[in-house]
Amino acid sequence: MTEGPPEPLTGSRNIPSLLSALRSQERSCTVVVAGAPGGSIHVRDGLVVAMETPGAPSVEGLLLRSGRVSEEAWSSVRATDTTHEHLAAELVHRGLVGAGELEVVSLSALFDAAFALSLATPDSWEVTDPVPTLYRNAGVTPERLLAEVSRRINLLAGEPGSVAALARTRMESATAAGLPGAVGTLPARHQDVLANADGRRTARDIAFALGRGLFAVMVDLRQLLDRGLVRPRTPSADTRPSTAARGAPSAVSPAAPEPVSLPRRRPGNTSSPAPRPQD
Amino acid sequence: MSSLDAALSRALNTPGISGAALLDAVTGLSYAESGEVSAGRDSCEIAELARTRLTQAGASGELENVIVTTSTQYIVTIQLPRQGDPLLLCATVDRERTNLTWALRELTRYADELLA
Repeated sequence: MTEGPPEPLTGSRNIPSLLSALRSQERSCTVVVAGAPGGSIHVRDGLVVAMETPGAPSVEGLLLRSGRVSEEAWSSVRATDTTHEHLAAELVHRGLVGAGELEVVSLSALFDAAFALSLATPDSWEVTDPVPTLYRNAGVTPERLLAEVSRRINLLAGEPGSVAALARTRMESATAAGLPGAVGTLPARHQDVLANADGRRTARDIAFALGRGLFAVMVDLRQLLDRGLVRPRTPSADTRPSTAARGAPSAVSPAAPEPVSLPRRRPGNTSSPAPRPQD
Repeated sequence: MSSLDAALSRALNTPGISGAALLDAVTGLSYAESGEVSAGRDSCEIAELARTRLTQAGASGELENVIVTTSTQYIVTIQLPRQGDPLLLCATVDRERTNLTWALRELTRYADELLA
């Protein structure tokens, strides 16, 4: 499926040029992007109105995880509209979230997903009929989307290593030894990020846990890194998360020994979450 | 027109307020803009700088606003607390046409309407 969409769009070499073509044709469609993380880009009348990707929290994730909307209220709204076409209107109509607030959440999820998608090269994409989705905004031009993503990449680019590597890095708090003064003066959102930097979670994991944007969490992590309050967990040769050795270590281990003792998962105890050190 | 754009345009009906923008205080993303907003482009960084430095210097309490005064304008940045990351309402205010107290009062009123 590397060909991409049918005829008038075959010239598109990448997602930005595809979106530009859709913009000039004022198309309404959904672009399904394959790859890691992959995702969906929802286009209405040539403007991008929503994006979803497993790489960043969706509008639903932002509303629910942050506690803005309760699970019960959300289920009840969804029950009224199985197609998702009128979810936004229903949420506002029921007074669960303000129209302006929903617009802010909708736009922030859109730009955040664009940022997350930009961190990896897509394998392929396909233009399909418009898929109903939850959004509330007037639509964003591809140019603005691209400009904002570039701004975000540049803002984080001071880090050693690429922005994508920063997104994958598991962070751990460097404050265990005790810098209570420094932590006490941090804004609440930094303290939340710090409490979630447990050496196993990446920026994406923390974003999902807190119901905040991936980029916002990365900005915070960057500031915490600069202040020495978090540090990257010593990277191992294998960066895939779930394939780490769970049994007894083999006789020879070429990797450097871990200087800090961290909570370890035990075999057979995979489902229950480990208590956070701060709890 | 989006509800945010509509709310910001209403703010411009106040004499002396020539531009307004709603920004994300953490990411700097502009959610809506109306009128003359070029002076407020860096409001996010200025507010963050003010907050961090003041806290380091021992100031207590949450940041409420930052006002930058030039010979002709006030660049007013009001932090809007909400569930989730705060927002910034940035406005360009003409010193010739209004006074700061009145502009602040009006902007705070519009801020309450923005997210409703």
